[in-house]
Amino acid sequence: MVAFIRRTLESLVNFLLPASYFAWQTVIYMSLFSWLMSLLARALGTTSFTIGVMATLSWIMLALGIGWGLEANRIRPFGIPIAPWVAGAILCLFMFGSWGGEWLQPALTAWPLVSFGVVAVPTLISWDFRPKRPAPSVRQQLVLLFLLSLLISSWFQFYFRIQAWIQDYPSLVTDNFDQSAFVYRLPGQSTQLSAGVTHLSMAETIMREQIDGKPWSSVERWLLNEQGQRQTLQREVQRRMANQPSLENDFWQVDFQPFTSGDGYDIKIWAIWSGPSAEATGYHLEKSCSLMPVTQGARYDTSTDMEAQPFASTRWANLSCQLDTPRQAGHPARYTNRQS
Amino acid sequence: MPLQDLLFNLGIMPLRAIAFQSLLLMVAISLEALVLRQRMRLGYQTSMQYAASLNLLATSLGWVMFLIAESMLPPPLRSQIISVVLFNRFYPNGWVDMLPVLTVVSAMGVFFATYWVKLQGLIWLMVLLERAPVTAATESESRHQRYEMARRGKAAQRQDYPSRTLAVLEANALSFTAILILLLLHQGAITL
Repeated sequence: MVAFIRRTLESLVNFLLPASYFAWQTVIYMSLFSWLMSLLARALGTTSFTIGVMATLSWIMLALGIGWGLEANRIRPFGIPIAPWVAGAILCLFMFGSWGGEWLQPALTAWPLVSFGVVAVPTLISWDFRPKRPAPSVRQQLVLLFLLSLLISSWFQFYFRIQAWIQDYPSLVTDNFDQSAFVYRLPGQSTQLSAGVTHLSMAETIMREQIDGKPWSSVERWLLNEQGQRQTLQREVQRRMANQPSLENDFWQVDFQPFTSGDGYDIKIWAIWSGPSAEATGYHLEKSCSLMPVTQGARYDTSTDMEAQPFASTRWANLSCQLDTPRQAGHPARYTNRQS
Repeated sequence: MPLQDLLFNLGIMPLRAIAFQSLLLMVAISLEALVLRQRMRLGYQTSMQYAASLNLLATSLGWVMFLIAESMLPPPLRSQIISVVLFNRFYPNGWVDMLPVLTVVSAMGVFFATYWVKLQGLIWLMVLLERAPVTAATESESRHQRYEMARRGKAAQRQDYPSRTLAVLEANALSFTAILILLLLHQGAITL
């Protein structure tokens, strides 16, 4: 037991205190020292330049030390020397992390190139800061490595470009990417509601303002001018959606069609997507409403310019809509008058 | 749940693009190495290294050009690119009739641009590696070639450049053909 503790202690001491000063632990200690000095400088209230120099030195030492340590201990998962990548990551964290805000994109994009720099600088510059000429075979390796890191950096950029597209056109996320030769959606992601749902509920609100609770006869007249109401609805939705400007607003168009059903009407409201989609014919979201005459007195709007005291025979319109907005492929079949 | 949040924040990733591009790059590099080795009398390793450098250069420059061009295109064309990337098809808008022509023209443009980039890249690579251009051994030339040279009176000042230019052209044509066939097969497999 004692021997085990002694062995552990010895290996710990060997790990923390290397035999030679020229070791990666020294660099880490220098990094720690530099960091403590920057803290001290901050406590003493020196200029921000001093603190910055100390902190910068500390970060660079940390990157160098960890890279050296990984390489010295031969930590190579799957045979890949990860030391330059880790050192590059630390340098990128330091360089871009202090920006705040949107730092992830420049940091990730620069990461492969910075890692290449970590590999290339020691072979191109000697210890006394004079340029070195490496052997042609090393130069060939460096060229390949540089181009590879450029390619990986482009992939990161492409990823961020796709995220920018989705920010511009949020409804794209709700679609299905099985056909794509470029992108893949990781399983386990929940899908959001399409922005078309907002257009649909906006259209429902406007329609409710116009016909819900109004006398049935005026609603019948409203429905006579179907084409005009359609245009009014589209214009009104566009006007209200202008509060939430988005590039994809141009891709949505609302439409509706009444179908006679019993005493009243079935009204289908559609938000039609005319942008890129997985279906060749596009798709639309559908909201089913029913517009029915109700005879029970003046339950709704009593402040109309009709008679204050309605007769028992006066019928009022009642618009009720379903909550779900199923997605259907193709353009809505407006002119096939379905009797249900 | 943090993992769910992370997955959600990652969004849609271009994993298929990375996989396909790696595969196509390997095909192109091995085919071009074959051509360069035969045409320029290089060793196995050297021809592989050259082909890999040239193709990686062309691909990286292509990405940079694409990313710049994409941000400058008018919105209707930009949404067509989005449509191709996300859904592998064009969608009907005002440009849809012109798109096949545009695609063919830009593909041809890309072919010649790639050829030029690869040729320049090869010249610079050989300068960087201090490799004297290897002149093709005279014995290996056919009688017809020697006759042509003699007829034009160029035998004395013959240089390596035509062989290098032709080698890159042939390598580029071969890899483009192979990639085109693979892409058509992939497209056929998707639509069937």
